[in-house]
Amino acid sequence: MKAVSLFYEFLWFLILVLLQVLLLNRIAVFGLAVPILYIYFLIKLPYGRSPFYVIISGFLLGLIIDIFLNTPGMNAAATTMVAAMRGVVLNLYYPKNEYEELIPGIHTSAAAFVKYTVTMVLLHQTLLFFIEAFTLFNLTSTLIRIVTSSILTIFLILALDSLSIRREKGG
Amino acid sequence: MKNLLAFIIRNSSWLVAIVLVVISFYLVFSYNSYQRSVFLTSANRVTGWIYDLSGKTTAFIHLNKSNKLLLERNAQLAAELHALKTHLADLQMDSLTTNAFQGDSVPASRFSFIPAEVINVSFSGPNNFITVNKGSDHGVRPDMGVVSQNGVVGVVLKSSSSFSVIIPIVNPKFRLSARLKNSSNTGSVSWNGKELGVAQLGELPKHEVFQPGDTVLTSFSRIFPRDIVIGYVIGQIPSKDDSFNTLDVRIATDFHSVRDVLIIDDKSYDEQKQLENSIQ
Repeated sequence: MKAVSLFYEFLWFLILVLLQVLLLNRIAVFGLAVPILYIYFLIKLPYGRSPFYVIISGFLLGLIIDIFLNTPGMNAAATTMVAAMRGVVLNLYYPKNEYEELIPGIHTSAAAFVKYTVTMVLLHQTLLFFIEAFTLFNLTSTLIRIVTSSILTIFLILALDSLSIRREKGG
Repeated sequence: MKNLLAFIIRNSSWLVAIVLVVISFYLVFSYNSYQRSVFLTSANRVTGWIYDLSGKTTAFIHLNKSNKLLLERNAQLAAELHALKTHLADLQMDSLTTNAFQGDSVPASRFSFIPAEVINVSFSGPNNFITVNKGSDHGVRPDMGVVSQNGVVGVVLKSSSSFSVIIPIVNPKFRLSARLKNSSNTGSVSWNGKELGVAQLGELPKHEVFQPGDTVLTSFSRIFPRDIVIGYVIGQIPSKDDSFNTLDVRIATDFHSVRDVLIIDDKSYDEQKQLENSIQ
């Protein structure tokens, strides 16, 4: 954990929160699909980052999004659960004992990264929309929202990741 | 014991996750809309400030359109003023005797309006909210009605010192009694969560006659003055109930472009509420 990479992560955190609450949450394609990009922060944490760090930053990320969107707890719960499962999902697609500071990215191994992203986003959106739908609304509309929003989010993440400069090697 | 300790240490990150998830769910279920803590909403100082900044920027971009609307409204009011003045002059000519009436002065109006600017909207899911830049310092308090220049917007849910959160018509928690313009039967407006611009007017007696395009107005309400436009009837939707109709209503306020709203301060709200509560 170098100080520089921590600083970069903090910056990413702020940018993603602002992007989510000021721009993306006002987009609802066909009134259904909302891009939920902030999960990209968890996806891009280095491989060897401790589970505590991942889970607590996931919780804080969700909580701050909640405070902005007037949905106390919803995003926090979904994001914490995804953060807890991140280690398991990573081990599914990436070989173990990889270089600790490796940041999952489309430039290093495209296939694994796509699978990893799809799993993380689907998990997150499923949890999020079901928590949101606890109180009302029917199953079909919730499922349609999960699928459309996931597709939009995955597309955005992959596009963003292809654009990003190759910081993975440097850490 | 040793095994238990080892188990806890091995799985400590999972335990942390479980604790945090429990905290989150506690938040989900305890902060339902009426006990919402100001600290954890967009009426909070920091988030309010960020939304304020973003609202100002978008307001600047929308200035052109707002300006045009204001001019139109201005012209309309000027025409109305002119018509009323003419009418008044006619009346005075008609009945000079009314000059003998020595009333005190015009009674103070029951309603006054606090203009506010929308600084954030959240219209992407079922939990829709609007945040505006006026709060308790400006006299805003929960349960005040909010209107735009086109019609009803919603009701103030919570206010901090300089921001307020409004629960709009398009939130499943919103209900408002309403009637059709040419009748006095009261129904109730709510939102089924399907389409952003369309609310439902329910509990309307079956014998009620309506045409698509009919105006829907506020009825008896502690929050809104009578006869404020809510929207316009689109058509009937199938209803399970035999004695009541449900109508689709196009909401007069365009929630995507609403920028300036008026918060209604009802001077006799407390008095009326107190009186009504005293008999329960």
